[in-house]
Amino acid sequence: MIYYIGAFGLVFIGLYIMLTKRNLIKVLIGLNILDTGVNLFLISIGYVGKGTAPIFSRGSEQVLMVDPVPQALVLTAIVIGVAVLALALSLAIMLHKHYGTLNLRKVKEQRW
Amino acid sequence: MVSPVLLIAVPLGLAFAIPLFGFISKKISKYIPPVAMLFNLILSLMLMPSTLKGPIVVSIGGWNPPFCINLVVDSLSILFSVLIALVGFLVSIYALDYMEKKATEKYHILYLLLLVGATGVVLTGDIFNLFVFFEILCISSYALVAYLGDKAGVESGIKYLIQGSIGSSLILIGIGILYGMFGSLNIADIASNINSIGSTALLIPLALLVTGFGVEGAIFPLNAWLPDAHSSAPSSISAILSGIAIGVGVYALTRVIFTLFGVSSIFPFLAILGVLTLLVGEASAFKQNNLKRMLAYSSTGQIGLIVFGLGIANYHGVAGGLFQVVSHGLGKSLLFMAAGYMIYRTGSMDISALKGIGKKMPLTSIAFTIGAFSLIGLPPFAGFASKFLIIQGALLKQDALFFVLAALVLLATVIEGAYFLKVCQIIHFKEGNNQKKKDAPLVALIPMFILVSLIIIIGIYPNLVSDFLNSAASGLLDKLAYIEGVLG
Repeated sequence: MIYYIGAFGLVFIGLYIMLTKRNLIKVLIGLNILDTGVNLFLISIGYVGKGTAPIFSRGSEQVLMVDPVPQALVLTAIVIGVAVLALALSLAIMLHKHYGTLNLRKVKEQRW
Repeated sequence: MVSPVLLIAVPLGLAFAIPLFGFISKKISKYIPPVAMLFNLILSLMLMPSTLKGPIVVSIGGWNPPFCINLVVDSLSILFSVLIALVGFLVSIYALDYMEKKATEKYHILYLLLLVGATGVVLTGDIFNLFVFFEILCISSYALVAYLGDKAGVESGIKYLIQGSIGSSLILIGIGILYGMFGSLNIADIASNINSIGSTALLIPLALLVTGFGVEGAIFPLNAWLPDAHSSAPSSISAILSGIAIGVGVYALTRVIFTLFGVSSIFPFLAILGVLTLLVGEASAFKQNNLKRMLAYSSTGQIGLIVFGLGIANYHGVAGGLFQVVSHGLGKSLLFMAAGYMIYRTGSMDISALKGIGKKMPLTSIAFTIGAFSLIGLPPFAGFASKFLIIQGALLKQDALFFVLAALVLLATVIEGAYFLKVCQIIHFKEGNNQKKKDAPLVALIPMFILVSLIIIIGIYPNLVSDFLNSAASGLLDKLAYIEGVLG
């Protein structure tokens, strides 16, 4: 249970940062915290108390293993997160070149 | 029989082979996307007849479902796959000239990846795999919106990225909760066990998934990114984003609601949400002075209509909603393609700058007008048949709520007619100063007129697609057939 609280704590912290901060870099940090929270949540779904890594080997007596599927999912999710973050940061650089600021309140050429 | 895996593998392989082709000749790279999409189109059309009998299930890795990642190709998937390949093919031909100066290898790679992501989403039978393809689609569309690197593009790209990635995170949480409940990621497997969990607990993953896919599908409270992104992207990309990307968002939403959860209590909510999206989109489009922005808002409206059709959840409504996906995909990509050259020739996105363009670019203007008429829903174009089906479905429902909603839909159609006809009037009947005739190049006109003829053919003879739409609609409404098809 404590894992879920921690994971969702990170998710909400990330969301809070994304919704309130004005600086684009801070927003992206918030996004990353959000991603981390989601990943930890996925890991904790598959966690079995005192379980070991799910690797079958000949000599091992240990039968209690954690669920490997969420770990595979998290691996994919991390890669996706990195791709999004890299793209976002490169866009942030371009944004700074155009506007000379990263303050999102000042970047509002596109209006309804 | 050919394997549907090739629909994903070939374009994906070609996308990453583009830099290698670049070593042979720099000229080749721009011909790769049309070739890949032509291949997909032919293969999808070949698979079409056999999906009418039942879903084709391809298990990858030698395991049987639900333990493997599998592709489930039923008639709904192949309908989308054909649409994606067709629009992707035509737009890539259009882009040969339109993006000639600006396109580099990166553009073609991203373009193909976007289409691969879209195809993957519609073909897969595994919820996490769906998420992965969805992210491929999203990331490449973020990059393509900002592709030109100009002020508006970068700003819209970053907005789209932030909203889209919050949406994706919500989807991932939803998938995590589903996995925690059912211990499976296979859509059919989860769907067959869905009743073992109380409906209150299911509400959380349902809400997360609907919100997440709603961002990409631009359902009303989540559509803030759409007008910026669609109007700032290069026109060829706007055509793809409007015609396909949001349609794929709606596909994912539909799959989740109809097949995965199969909850009927959410349908009236969906219908109301659809009508709200429709009204907001059309009303905002009405007051735009910027041509592409108007088209972008009109896309929001059309998505609302599609969601309304699906929310009716009877046979006619769902078939009409899917028909609307097709006619919107064809019509809106045609409009964006025509608008791209109009903006290019006049040098301004203002609607008032279009005065006299009907004499200057007669063929492009005709294409634009036909696309607009189809979206308004004038007979004999495709938009009429789809709107007719949706309204028919709403009236067959025999429910006061749906009568009111149908009336609102017709009201929105009037608004839509008002702004589209206004633009058509400016194009054809207002005198401009520059009368020198210079139409769009032939390479761009050919795909436009293929779309025009498809819109007219489907409009005059809707039975051409109706078999298929009926099969797709019954596939959606009858989730047991889907489950049996996959799990056997």
